Amino acid sequence: MAKDILVLGPAWPEVFLACAAMALLMLGVFRGESSARLVSWLSVGALAATALLLSGTTPERGLTFGGMFVIDSFAVFMKMLVLLGSALAIVMSLDFNEREKIARFEYPVLFLFATLGMMMMVSASDLISLYLGLELQSLSLYVVAAFRRDSIRSTEAGLKYFVLGALSSGLLLYGASLIYGFAGTTSFAGIARIMVDSAGDMPLGVVFGVVFIAAALAFKVSAAPFHMWTPDVYEGAPTPVTAFFSVAPKIAAVSLLVRVLVEPFGPLVGAWQQIVVALAVVSMLIGGFAAIYQTNIKRLMAYSSIGHIGYALVGLAAGDETGVRGVLVYMSIYLFMNVAAFGAILCMRQQGRMVERIDDLSGLAKNQPMVAAALAISMFSMAGIPPLAGFFGKLYVFLAAISAGLYALAVIGVLTSVVAAYYYLRIVKLMYFDDPVDVFDQPIGRPLGLVLAGTSLFTLLFFVYPAPLIFAAGLAAAALYAG
Amino acid sequence: MIIQALAFYLFSTVLIAAAVMVISARNPVHSVLFLILAFFNAAGLFVLMGAEFLAMILVVVYVGAVAVLFLFVVMMLDIDFSALRQGFLRYAPIGGLVGIVLLVELMWMATVWAVAPGASEVGVARMPAAAQIPNTQALGLVLYTRYVYVFQAAGLVLLVAMIGAIVLTLRQREGVRRQDIARQISRPRERSVELVKMPPRAGV
Amino acid sequence: MYTAVVLLPLLGAIAAGLFAPWLKDRGSQIVSCGAVGLSALLSLPIFYQVALHGQSRTIELFTWIQSGAFEFVWAVKFDTLSAVMVLVVSVVSSMIHVYSVGYMAHDKSIPRFMAYLNLFTFFMLALVTADNFGQLFFGWEGVGLASYLLIGFWYDRPSANAAAIKAFLVNRIGDFGFALGIMGVFLVFGSVQFDTVFAAVPGKANDMMNFLGYQVPAITTLCLLLFVGAMGKSAQLGLHTWLPDAMEGPTPVSALIHAATMVTAGVFMVARLSPMFEYAPAALAVVTVVGASTALFAASVGLVQNDIKRVIAYSTCSQLGYMFFAAGVSAYGVAIFHLMTHAFFKALLFLVSGSVIHALSGEQDMRKMGGLRRTIPITYALMWIGSLALAGIPFFAGYWSKDAILDAAWGAHSGVGTYAFWLGIGAALMTAFYSWRLIFMTFHGDTRADHHVMEHAHESPNVMLYPLYVLAAGAVLAGMIGHHFFVGGGQEQFWGESIKVLPQHDALEAGHHAPFWVQWLPVAVAIIGIGIAYGLYIRNPELPRQLAARFKPLYFFLLNKWYFDELYDLLFVNPAHRLGLSLWKKGDGDIIDGYGPDGIAATTVRLARRASLLQTGYIYHYAFAMLIGVVVLATAAWYLLGRAG
Repeated sequence: MAKDILVLGPAWPEVFLACAAMALLMLGVFRGESSARLVSWLSVGALAATALLLSGTTPERGLTFGGMFVIDSFAVFMKMLVLLGSALAIVMSLDFNEREKIARFEYPVLFLFATLGMMMMVSASDLISLYLGLELQSLSLYVVAAFRRDSIRSTEAGLKYFVLGALSSGLLLYGASLIYGFAGTTSFAGIARIMVDSAGDMPLGVVFGVVFIAAALAFKVSAAPFHMWTPDVYEGAPTPVTAFFSVAPKIAAVSLLVRVLVEPFGPLVGAWQQIVVALAVVSMLIGGFAAIYQTNIKRLMAYSSIGHIGYALVGLAAGDETGVRGVLVYMSIYLFMNVAAFGAILCMRQQGRMVERIDDLSGLAKNQPMVAAALAISMFSMAGIPPLAGFFGKLYVFLAAISAGLYALAVIGVLTSVVAAYYYLRIVKLMYFDDPVDVFDQPIGRPLGLVLAGTSLFTLLFFVYPAPLIFAAGLAAAALYAG
Repeated sequence: MIIQALAFYLFSTVLIAAAVMVISARNPVHSVLFLILAFFNAAGLFVLMGAEFLAMILVVVYVGAVAVLFLFVVMMLDIDFSALRQGFLRYAPIGGLVGIVLLVELMWMATVWAVAPGASEVGVARMPAAAQIPNTQALGLVLYTRYVYVFQAAGLVLLVAMIGAIVLTLRQREGVRRQDIARQISRPRERSVELVKMPPRAGV
Repeated sequence: MYTAVVLLPLLGAIAAGLFAPWLKDRGSQIVSCGAVGLSALLSLPIFYQVALHGQSRTIELFTWIQSGAFEFVWAVKFDTLSAVMVLVVSVVSSMIHVYSVGYMAHDKSIPRFMAYLNLFTFFMLALVTADNFGQLFFGWEGVGLASYLLIGFWYDRPSANAAAIKAFLVNRIGDFGFALGIMGVFLVFGSVQFDTVFAAVPGKANDMMNFLGYQVPAITTLCLLLFVGAMGKSAQLGLHTWLPDAMEGPTPVSALIHAATMVTAGVFMVARLSPMFEYAPAALAVVTVVGASTALFAASVGLVQNDIKRVIAYSTCSQLGYMFFAAGVSAYGVAIFHLMTHAFFKALLFLVSGSVIHALSGEQDMRKMGGLRRTIPITYALMWIGSLALAGIPFFAGYWSKDAILDAAWGAHSGVGTYAFWLGIGAALMTAFYSWRLIFMTFHGDTRADHHVMEHAHESPNVMLYPLYVLAAGAVLAGMIGHHFFVGGGQEQFWGESIKVLPQHDALEAGHHAPFWVQWLPVAVAIIGIGIAYGLYIRNPELPRQLAARFKPLYFFLLNKWYFDELYDLLFVNPAHRLGLSLWKKGDGDIIDGYGPDGIAATTVRLARRASLLQTGYIYHYAFAMLIGVVVLATAAWYLLGRAG
């Protein structure tokens, strides 16, 4: 028992990232405030190195730290996405922070800690490690949400997120305690064994435990009706932070939700399937309808992300390997198109000030055709118009739902995506057919431009060669069900 | 046994009552004091379970540090709690309804509670009997071995909390004099003291 | 190298299209011509290796879609058939690219034009190198798209837009059949891979399948459905109406897409699917009849047209008919041979007529031309070469291929073969007539253009002439060089596995032994045709008008293209229009909009307003909403558990 506790092999990437984050913190402290840009680039480097280490880990399933930490293809896949999302977010923040005079070295360090928390979430195989990973991630996110501390909206965002996040943590812990009370163990494998053994008569407490845990995780992925924080926080937080919020933590929380529901509570699929279906339906409806009346682009993106989580949950609701593969594909594609959209939003700057109204985009195509094209690609993709990447994401989750017999869910999904298409296409219409208002500042900066170009091209050309991603997602989903 | 049971019910009742008072007391200072009372009773419950280390930690850290800090903050900030409670009555019916539904469900859940047949062998087997080693030592045995991962993770959470507190509050103000002990100590005598020869009865 | 041939034009299209602001006109011309030129150069060694040395190969790039048994691979397949096609497409295309540099010199969106041309070339190459039905369909639709874009290139002209839409719609009808055919192939064979399907065909030759509730022979049905696609793309009788209208596009487009390459895709497809068609004799008979009828019909319409490009367009239509009936009598090699020679001389004719139009500042009506012989002598000479090749005068390219086709039709010794032969002879007579009518009306006699135009008439710049020389060389020599390989003694070794002909379908071999008069009749009628044209337009210029007045109904019948457009208007367009109008006004406007979109949109707006109102901004509202969510979910789970347990 004691021997296998300190087998670090599977967890090297996390250990490295933790050490790197602390080292960069020290570097920042001693170099002073001027080191923000250096620390940022080093952070990106650290994330890249972590990804490299991660790609070197063995693809077989491995447990360490007394069974609290698991690594498998699923975890590797999700961690890669998380690392990519974080790195892109840091790169996108560089110029923004300097312009807004919030360039401080703690910012990338907090991103690193948040990323570390997410990786721990993805690899959690115990309720305790799950909770700690979640808290590490959340706490870092609360702080970066309020990072522009002189802005009332930013601090309000941080505070709201913090209070509601604490509430969701309470729900999570309560649910975990119920499960522990029944199963006598917190490890996923142990819980799964108990669930199989007592499949016949499951007491109400366990079901409630699952409900509470699912609700808490639904809060983290901002699935309705636990989504209320999302629009306010997205609007208030600095834009690159919002971009970060909308990808990496979502991916981590989705993978956590998937793992928790599939691994320990897999035998309870009949119970949680209905919960997930309900979450998916409400999220898709809210994401479709509430976005229509928004005038602020960041709020719009918040509702859009709620809707996307709804679609991803459709795959999870299928409750089988195909469904999980659909979720993974969806989240990967979501990452790219969302980063592209936020990259374009970060270009919305007039006379040195950020603007966030949707109307400010009018006639963008005439002034900045490339930015407009990138945003248009992203919007078309989010609306799910073939052959852009977003279409494939939706295709795979809906196919999974149909093959699982969830016809009503698939139909609702398609209908709400029609509603959602309205506001996505409205943006395209504004950019291409309306008269220009004020010109946005140029140039947009090289790092941001590269991110924007890369993610748009991925979204645009994904259909040419989708096989690797689909294949990797299939492997990852299979690993989850094999374990 | 009876005494133990009596103590358990006493602590539990007071704990719940104190917790209710924390959220219902009109004066925030009273709320914090009730919170301290709740902590003490929770510590009592821990002692009853034989977890004296946790009990002490709870008293020392939560009562000694956290709650006192709360008290300072509440006293320094002049918050008009009555204003915050204005919507209370408006939402009371529906809030109460939801609360009651939840309460009924949880109570029902408690009545039909069961422990999985295999649970004891999975969980309890790893816990050393209280008689063999004191629980402080037992904690020490597992904290850096079996739970080293979560222990370190918790450490990181605290580190992030610290960074966050500094990032969000620390301001470099201009024109504020700070104590610099090294400079104070190394100040030479010549620069701080000037000997002036004064002729007697000459005045200044 | 093999992959590069196909992908270079795509890269060119991307570069010229996306980076237009940086490349400017000149840069995009260089990039696109370079890309296509390079792929034309590369196609030469490929042709040498694959076709002459029989080293066929298929390079699988990657799997695109895999879903159950359905696997769709991107691949480039090079056997003799595709090597020939790649050679023809890339060479002709590169010539036309160069020509366009001169022809489009004064246009304001040159990069767009070049990008479209490149894109078209890519799709066409992807089509001919397909090794499965999926990629074939991809290329098929791709060239359709490029054709649509290029016909409507001058999108500010209503007639161009209308022509583009017409081309697209008529092709849709064909594509519908084509798509049905592909689905049927997958249904019957469980694969869309050519090799798998072809290997399975002999075993299923007598299978039946259920189509629209009838039991029908599987292979024949599939072949007929696929042939419908070919008819649409290759403008065969019935689905031909779009091709003359497509002349609204710039002339290089007409030359490339609507003469040399895209319209021959149908012929290519039939040849490619020869292992299937061989087992469907009924389908082959249909192909023959349709091809022969088209040949005669289009030639007859060509007799009286006045627009120079339309004459050539109908001629294209007619020549495609020749190719089809050659394929229909199992002489696929001959069909491809004619496809190749035709690509050269028809591209030449179009480009030359483009030169004429260029010289006359955009005039296309032959009645306003004449006497240009001296003004633009090089163009005049080139037009002669093209026309001689088209009419099948020995020993120009068209002679070899057209002669072989007619011999094969005769050699088929079947009812449809004889039908095709005599119609083909008739069409050959008309072909010669309208070709020289065109020459005489355009270049001889007194000019009928107004003197402003004539003053500006000038020979084309060199950048337009050099490609013409290359094509003219092809029009003269291609037949002589290719004869041995395509249809002569070397043909079996040349085609190898790429074309399959059952031993009992030996029309080609029989054609070689056709009687003397069969072999020389086409040439004789061609000369007669030229003679008639000379008699009518040089010796006695008044006669045509008198004839037209005398046989007024016939003249108008031909002039109005056998009233096909009017017939379609009457049968399909107008009823559809009326139906659409009533559905729009009553059905859509009153019923569906009232309750549907408008109603739903209004409801959506209401719901949206509600949903945004939920977002109050108060943190305790949010927390409360979460708690309600938990309670509802918990209650629902409890209820479900109670029902399940």
